[in-house]
Amino acid sequence: MWSRVAYTLRETWASSQRNVTLTVAAIITSAVSLLIFGLTLLIQHGFDNLLSKWEGGVEMIVFMQAGATDEQRSVVESALNQQRGVVVDSWRYCDVACSLAEAERLFAGDPVTLDLLTEANIPTQFKVVPAEGTTVQTLRALKADYQRGLPNVLSVELAEEQLDLIGRLQSFVGLYTTGMWISLMLAATLLIWNTIRTAMFARRREIEVMKLVGATDWFIRIPFMLEGLFQGVLGGLAACGALWFINGRWAAGVAEFPVDSGFAALVVTGNYLSVVMAIVLVFGAVVGTVGSGIAASRFLNI
Amino acid sequence: MIRLDNVTKSYAADSVAVRDASFEVEKGEFVFLVGPSGSGKSTLLRLLNREERPERGEVWVAGRNIVEMPPSRVPYLRRNIGNVFQDYKLLPNKTVFENVAFAQEVIGKPKHEIRQQVPTVLELVGLSGKEERFPHQLSGGEQQRVSVARAFVNRPLILLADEPTGNLDPATGEGIMRLLDRINRTGTTVLMATHDQRIVNTMRKRVIQLDRGVIVRDQARGVYD
Repeated sequence: MWSRVAYTLRETWASSQRNVTLTVAAIITSAVSLLIFGLTLLIQHGFDNLLSKWEGGVEMIVFMQAGATDEQRSVVESALNQQRGVVVDSWRYCDVACSLAEAERLFAGDPVTLDLLTEANIPTQFKVVPAEGTTVQTLRALKADYQRGLPNVLSVELAEEQLDLIGRLQSFVGLYTTGMWISLMLAATLLIWNTIRTAMFARRREIEVMKLVGATDWFIRIPFMLEGLFQGVLGGLAACGALWFINGRWAAGVAEFPVDSGFAALVVTGNYLSVVMAIVLVFGAVVGTVGSGIAASRFLNI
Repeated sequence: MIRLDNVTKSYAADSVAVRDASFEVEKGEFVFLVGPSGSGKSTLLRLLNREERPERGEVWVAGRNIVEMPPSRVPYLRRNIGNVFQDYKLLPNKTVFENVAFAQEVIGKPKHEIRQQVPTVLELVGLSGKEERFPHQLSGGEQQRVSVARAFVNRPLILLADEPTGNLDPATGEGIMRLLDRINRTGTTVLMATHDQRIVNTMRKRVIQLDRGVIVRDQARGVYD
């Protein structure tokens, strides 16, 4: 038994040394594809963080018509107070001066719109922080009620548009990164397949002799499959190192961003990085074994 | 030990390599397969090794019809058959010792048995002291002796030799024939394809002659023609 194991390991090592260029190419390709696969998982997790943060702190803004009276404003205040503790956690009124100051920030890059806004025509706002656990559906219902039933309300806006944007961004990034890692994983599998095929072709004489003296197909196949497995695992290890490094650099970079930039949510913390690295290693092993296994079975009769 | 019943093998519709061949070889026999190139000698040997399967007929080796044998059992059949080739089929990156040991390694023989049996068989073929040489450092005759040692190291029941003297000068060829004769005397059945008239006429063993895939003669203590 031990002599077989020693033989298998020796042959695996010898074979991978015969094709150094192809072996290195296969390892690099699998490392890159596995890195992108790992990054996809981390980015998706970051977006999930971002979305969950927004869901908890979603704001509803009730815009009043310019020139709304104090009585009309009181009606809105009463309506919001009625919902306090149910749908509304807190609210604050942003008067003309506050709204103009905000507009100056929001439209700093759009002086034409900014010039059109004056004390006489700018809408004032009620900024509402929803209560914990409030769903977007409940807020949508409240928005409809307020637009229908409250006096002199210009519009009611929810942050859901921004949520939609993040959701769309997540889908967009997810689609392309997923497409990339699937394509690269396929390329890595094919490269490992080709490496093993070349190794088998280079050793066809040995394989012929092995078959003639009575070696079983599995005995011939296993060193080649192990070679592919090692290539996949080495690619996985390289990808894990790169993931660890990139995540560390990203976390350090984001720490220097402004607190309210929203990027802080995109930093992956806790055990999730370790989980992703374990998944990447398993994927590497699977890619290597599948690529080499197919080649070793298909080209055994060379 | 070997029996062929009405075996036909063709590689293309219009080219029949072996046609309706039937013969039997007893344990310990030495048989020459003779005939011109393309007469079907090598195909017959390949059929016995299950490298080829016939379209019709049965091939019996050591009491088993190997035509119906599942592929997973073929390696175990081959462990009872040694093969010697005209071009030796040695592995150039392995030493003499490693080439012979390879036949034992790949069937999972323990290392201590390999260390014990390989020198014995190398002594039998007259290559003691050349264990560490590589094939390119040996003469043609010596390379063929390594090939014979590799074929015999697992003590097969049958030894198939396909033109083993084809690449050798007459004197070296005679040495190889003496070696095969010695192996035959240990009880191993030997089937040898050749068109070396001198060897066949000298040895006076059983001769099966093929012509365009058909057995035209089967003669005990025969000559080439």
